[in-house]
Amino acid sequence: MSGSRAESKTTLPTKGLISCRDLSLSEVSEIFGLAERLVRGEVRLSSSLLGKKVALVFAEPSTRTFQSFYLAAKTLGAEAVSIADPTVSSMAKGESLYDTLKMLELYGASCIVLRHPARGAARFASESVSIPVINAGSGSQEHPTQALIDVFTIRRKRGRVDGLKIGMLGDLRYSRTIPSLCHLLSLYSGVEIYFMAPQILQVRREVEMYLEERGVQFAKIDNSEEMRRVMPVLDVLYVTRIQKERFPDPTEYEKVRGYYVVDSTTLSYLRDDVGIMHPLPRVDELSPEIDHAPNAWYFEQAGNGLSIRIALLHLILGGE
Amino acid sequence: MDESLLVRKIDWGTVLDHIPAWSAEQVIRLLNLKHLRENPDVSLIVLQNVPSRRLGRKDIVKLYHYMVAKDEAGILALIFPTITINYIRDWKVEKEKPGIPERIVGRIKCPETSCITNLKREPAVPRFEVRQKHGVIQCMYCDTLLEIAKIPEYLI
Repeated sequence: MSGSRAESKTTLPTKGLISCRDLSLSEVSEIFGLAERLVRGEVRLSSSLLGKKVALVFAEPSTRTFQSFYLAAKTLGAEAVSIADPTVSSMAKGESLYDTLKMLELYGASCIVLRHPARGAARFASESVSIPVINAGSGSQEHPTQALIDVFTIRRKRGRVDGLKIGMLGDLRYSRTIPSLCHLLSLYSGVEIYFMAPQILQVRREVEMYLEERGVQFAKIDNSEEMRRVMPVLDVLYVTRIQKERFPDPTEYEKVRGYYVVDSTTLSYLRDDVGIMHPLPRVDELSPEIDHAPNAWYFEQAGNGLSIRIALLHLILGGE
Repeated sequence: MDESLLVRKIDWGTVLDHIPAWSAEQVIRLLNLKHLRENPDVSLIVLQNVPSRRLGRKDIVKLYHYMVAKDEAGILALIFPTITINYIRDWKVEKEKPGIPERIVGRIKCPETSCITNLKREPAVPRFEVRQKHGVIQCMYCDTLLEIAKIPEYLI
């Protein structure tokens, strides 16, 4: 890669990134600005984090998030130290997250990228160590870096975020990407959100409260007739998987399994230019028959994960 | 019936008055019972469902030789907005309407079972932000909401 070096000065919190609620619009613009230059090949960051150690602690399965953070650290010249399979670490013996993180800090980690099944794990981690913590998924609570990828993708594809009408379809209760996406979208003007899900999968009250406080317009839609009425006004349809693993009662999961599938019939309700997004992995809710539709954005969305995470690590760790 | 006929006045301690009728038990649970029991001089007197001009019926909790701490008073005021607290020193009564706390630390268990504060090996002390306008408190780790009225069910 050739071109100018990136600016290393940042206003991003040196504590890391726990929630999109902690970000200002100027900080988001800074991340997106650098990610955009990376996508275009306008910036060279190959050794910006030379000598730094990025600890990847993944106590839950991950494909994209783990791999993209790993590649991001490597791309920036950092050493990536990983606990990606808790069954082969002392966490399997019952060692606490707290002790694990303290050890990594003592071993010289420059930052911790953490995925953990417990809600609040990332906030707790950031209070437990003095190095930055990046939340790579805290149970069903948040996934802030995914939200950055999502909004970055919307901005690239649509040219703006302000004033867009965004439909969120699926498991809005247990999906961690939904709260983070809502937090981030609330930074933009005139965004309207349509939560499309049956009652038991509807968005959590704390997310609604946050949007109300930020003056974001939203509507909850729980029947298919109303959904079909809303579909034509959408600019983006964001689909999520039903998070089977997070249902406290398996019989509740069985009630909603297969409730929705986005396929070519769904596309017929949407405008031709509506972007279809999904944080992946998908199971049955997104039919492969639409993968080649021009408005199927989800693979490009996943691809943007690498640039966003390179930008984030570089900015948080003050890369040279 | 005047409650003074039921229990004599105290010269040193705290009187929690204007508790909704039949709620004294919850008030006692909210007080730090461990501290209460550590002091052998403490006496606890409970009056339930006594007549009240303001509430119709009310409960009263009298704590002889125990001064309710400000943070405890704040939690009580949050759950029972009608409560008044009288601190008594040498028969002199100081009436207090306790302020609502902004945060509650270490007194309430998070209702979300997957919250980090519910993992037994993690030294995470539950911490809530009071969001009185919405009638809830919110876990500062996992964001989960708990209705103020349900706080007594989650006391530690």
